[in-house]
Amino acid sequence: MENENVLEVRGLSKQYKKGVYASQGVTFNVRKGEIFALIGQNGAGKTTTIRMISTLLKATEGDAIVDGHSILTEPEKVRQCITYLPDEAGAYKTMTGTGYLEFMAGIYASDARQIKEFVERASEISELGDRLKDKIGTYSRGMIRKLLLARAMMPQPALAILDEPTSGLDIINALDIRRMIKKLSSQGMSFLISSHNMLEIEYVSDRIGIIAKGHLLEIGSAQELKEKYNTKNLEEVFEKVVLSK
Amino acid sequence: MKFMSLFKKELREMLTPQTLVVLVMIYFGMFMLGNIMGKQIDKIVEESSEIVLCDQDDTEFTKKMIEAMKKPATGGTNDVKLVSIESDDYPGELERLGEKNIVLIPKGFTEQVESGKTAEYTYISRMTSLSTLGNVSSGSENAKALINASVISTLYGKKLSEGKLTLEEISQLNKPVDLKEVTVVQDKSSDVGASTVAQMKTMENMFMPIIVFLLIMYSSQMVLNAVSTEKIDKTLETLLSAPVSRLSVLTSKMLAAGVVAALYAVVMMFGMQNVVSKMQTGGDTAAYKDAIEQLGLTLSGAQYILIGLQMFVSILIALSISLVLGVLAKDAKSGQSLLLPIQLLSMVPYMLSMFMDVKTLSPVIRYIIYAIPFTHTFMANENIMFGNTTLYWGGLAYQLALLAICMTFAIRVFTSDKIFTMTLGGGKKKSGGGFAALFGKKSAPDHSDE
Repeated sequence: MENENVLEVRGLSKQYKKGVYASQGVTFNVRKGEIFALIGQNGAGKTTTIRMISTLLKATEGDAIVDGHSILTEPEKVRQCITYLPDEAGAYKTMTGTGYLEFMAGIYASDARQIKEFVERASEISELGDRLKDKIGTYSRGMIRKLLLARAMMPQPALAILDEPTSGLDIINALDIRRMIKKLSSQGMSFLISSHNMLEIEYVSDRIGIIAKGHLLEIGSAQELKEKYNTKNLEEVFEKVVLSK
Repeated sequence: MKFMSLFKKELREMLTPQTLVVLVMIYFGMFMLGNIMGKQIDKIVEESSEIVLCDQDDTEFTKKMIEAMKKPATGGTNDVKLVSIESDDYPGELERLGEKNIVLIPKGFTEQVESGKTAEYTYISRMTSLSTLGNVSSGSENAKALINASVISTLYGKKLSEGKLTLEEISQLNKPVDLKEVTVVQDKSSDVGASTVAQMKTMENMFMPIIVFLLIMYSSQMVLNAVSTEKIDKTLETLLSAPVSRLSVLTSKMLAAGVVAALYAVVMMFGMQNVVSKMQTGGDTAAYKDAIEQLGLTLSGAQYILIGLQMFVSILIALSISLVLGVLAKDAKSGQSLLLPIQLLSMVPYMLSMFMDVKTLSPVIRYIIYAIPFTHTFMANENIMFGNTTLYWGGLAYQLALLAICMTFAIRVFTSDKIFTMTLGGGKKKSGGGFAALFGKKSAPDHSDE
């Protein structure tokens, strides 16, 4: 069961204009309980790939199978298996933290008992305590990010897709969130993360995919990639991979 | 120096290309409105020199009076068209003669003048609109002035030759004639002036166009803000990646805006009805109300439903357009400027229907105005009251067709990639969508965040 794939991406492409690909022939998989990271520069195609897997954008070519469901033919079923946290996402400022969690739980849960269960789990994950009773408009950026992460974790999805999960956060908040992801992964949750923070990726992910100009150039664990390219850190690996292509 | 730098920076931020486009649109909108109104006023002035007259008295005095009308002492010439009225069925007579207004000099008019009494004549007018300029009876005012002048000149001539004026005669010279106004609406008539009826009805119905205008504004703003805020805050991405259909997201937004708009409508209707009822107390209000009922210018429950139906369709059109505009918004500021086309599209028919009878405009302008979907809602009240059923149902059919197009487009935008790739004007970073995306061409996405 350890090698069971939660996500299988096969030749996924997105073409906006004729001949202009934001993402082309991207192929990789994410195993159960694995943290897979996509790293790349701005405009490399990370967000486009993630948005296609999240069923927000339609793929021009290829397919992705999430927990046995195709993003092309069964997008509704895919959405039941995933949660997506966009980069720099916000929450409804007029709602309280609890109100927001209840609202989102209502979308994922099948009954009132499950809503309660989801909200309790999210409250615990967020570590926001009594501040959950306050309006989101009064939250700091770190608090909003924690709330959103808790929202993404609460239905215990087969795959949590996190776009730049710690972008714009201070060191303490970023560390908290990384620990949270590690902990949930150890409990069996799979993650697809996008980032251009190499340190974070090296710390948090099991395997890494390097993406540039819409193409997935390399896949491997941080250790494997460092050995393959004979470098001390992931930043140097990234530089070598991108420049060599 | 510091102030100027700050001022320039603020000006640069506020005076965007979008703002300039909107300013140009406002200018042309107002220019068009001014031109249309100017032409209508010219038409009224022109019509005031055209007097359709029925001389039932047919005496030397009335003949002289008509001649004096053709070439008044004040200069210029008037076109007096003589017609013959054969019965008291004024709606039927106007229909038969194909005239909108007739000045009727009744039998015995000369006798009244010569016996030193205030003579009475009648002005019969067909009312086809509730608009202010549509009911300016300049013809009757002109005729009244000319008849007054003729009677006074005749009396002076006669009495001065006799060399004396009694007190009664002086009093008669002060008010030589009395005007009786008859208003005709479809096949009904009442002894009341058209401008008085229009004034009463305008006061009674003034809340209707205001409510339509405000509802279009409020509901559009609510939906546009709801969509643009979700898109800007990226809560929309979260929502659309959740197990909920995009159509449910779209429908819930429209329905919520519709409910809030309906709440506004109810509150405003009650509030304004209270204002109107307070304004309509005292004086001859009861008599005027009777006249309005006699003319059939009241609405039944079913007719109110028909007006409500057109109002509802208008709001749905505004909502579906706003949904797409909300998707185009890059930020809160651009969201606000995107609302201006809807404001203009509702302001033009609102102003026009208030001041003039749209039906009487030149065909080109009329069809341009009819092409604005909100026009039909502003005219719904009038169309129903005056029995313009073809215009009402035609307008509703057009609105429904346009609603189907707008909704299809909004659904297409909401259920496709366009919801994330479409932006207005683009910009260097967000090189996406723009109007190219709007018309279905594939365009580069917003991946500035990748």
